[in-house]
Amino acid sequence: MLPAAAVFHYPWEINSGAVEEGQSVRVFGRLTYYQPEESRATLSTQHASKEHCVVVNTKHVEPFDPITGAQYIALGETEKVEDGGVVLRARVLNCIDGVNIALLQKAINEQRSFFSEREQKQSEAAQFTHDT
Amino acid sequence: MQAAQMESVEEPPSMLWGLDPIFSTFAKLYVRDILQMTESIQVPDVYFYNSHPIFQVDVLGTVVYKRERDSFFCYGVDDGTGVINCLCWKKDLLKEKGDPTKSGAKHSDGAQGSFDPVAELEKLRQAQKNRCHLDIGDLLRVRGPVKTYRQQREITAHVYYKVNDPVMAVQIAWMMEVPQLYRQCYDKPILQQPDEMGDSSFTLLSKATNVIKDFVKQKMASKVRPYDVMDLLHPLFPVHSQTASEDQRPVAGPSSFQRLRQLVQETLQVLQDEGILYRKVRSQDEVYHVTAEDTDLLIAVKDIIREDSKREHFAEKGCHVLHILTAVRHSYSLNVTKAALEVILRKLECNSEIVSTRDNYYTAF
Repeated sequence: MLPAAAVFHYPWEINSGAVEEGQSVRVFGRLTYYQPEESRATLSTQHASKEHCVVVNTKHVEPFDPITGAQYIALGETEKVEDGGVVLRARVLNCIDGVNIALLQKAINEQRSFFSEREQKQSEAAQFTHDT
Repeated sequence: MQAAQMESVEEPPSMLWGLDPIFSTFAKLYVRDILQMTESIQVPDVYFYNSHPIFQVDVLGTVVYKRERDSFFCYGVDDGTGVINCLCWKKDLLKEKGDPTKSGAKHSDGAQGSFDPVAELEKLRQAQKNRCHLDIGDLLRVRGPVKTYRQQREITAHVYYKVNDPVMAVQIAWMMEVPQLYRQCYDKPILQQPDEMGDSSFTLLSKATNVIKDFVKQKMASKVRPYDVMDLLHPLFPVHSQTASEDQRPVAGPSSFQRLRQLVQETLQVLQDEGILYRKVRSQDEVYHVTAEDTDLLIAVKDIIREDSKREHFAEKGCHVLHILTAVRHSYSLNVTKAALEVILRKLECNSEIVSTRDNYYTAF
């Protein structure tokens, strides 16, 4: 069976509760910490003068070549753990070091604004047909 | 659901699909839209996105699912909006298993400096194999028609390859491009415009031309004057003027005759351009000869071809259309158009009175 589509999310959205448990997401970040014995990696990003960390469970993508300080993109499902945090169980973990993060964010925003624009138009159209 | 129903009701007839440029391209749609497009009731494996007919798509995404069979790969591709199966047939090249020892020996030959086509071919094959063999997490670009197989949409790849995108440049470019394509092409209703907008002027003219064509054919008329035609076209007008003149009644009265006159002129021009009518003599009296009924012209053209075909210069190839045209203008009437001559030539050819030796060349025996 095909898995659900992994939608782009920003690292700061993962822990803020905007993402429901079990949702498929893809998220980028700098690999700052990796514990192979626990299959635990941490991707972190600077945003609005704050450091945002996403904990990634790397069990399904091992072995991979961990380069500390490099940009990675992870794709997988979110999972709540006992201590209240969120862990991303990765299906894909790719090194994308050298990526233009600003441009990537612009592309993500572009795609989001396109979809929200379209949904707005559709709801307006639905409203219109409902009224008439 | 409501939108889907409306779309299927408005499904444009398959005759018009080719008018939509998107129909003949590989549409770069989001996977979500590929999965949600409504299927055509007329033809299987044609889908509608915003009433644009679509049967082939172009997708870029991450491989998140993989299944291999003897003759094909099945990749699940995720572009961030949806996941779709892609059926990727293995090329014969991939199935052939070259002897590893042999290719190794060949490779060392090539390393000595001389160009070895066999080793190069082997390298090419290897490169192609690498590009076609993807693992989960790789980026896949795939183009091909959308099919529904066991109630699930899938893409049968015409072309597919692994995209080497270490810094996401290709993905970012794609993410920036696709919304633009949607705004400029896919979300614009193109097919409906010619029906609604062009209706009033364009089809009125074509209706008028058809009316006159039918009239000429039925009556076997040999000559037409604008006044005769005006009566024929008059019935086309009331419906049109009634709808248009609701709020401009005072203006519509006097101008309707002028409009009719203009329509007559335009129609006659179209018919002349098509060669159905031509003016033998340009005089005050506007007389249009019906080309196909003009036996004098027919005989004149036939005579010219018959005479000139005997000449040594034309004996082998036959006479070119332009040569015949010059001769007709010289001997018959200066105003014969090329289109009219072509109508005559076609008629003569249908009656087997002349034979075309090749494109644009005619001879008679």
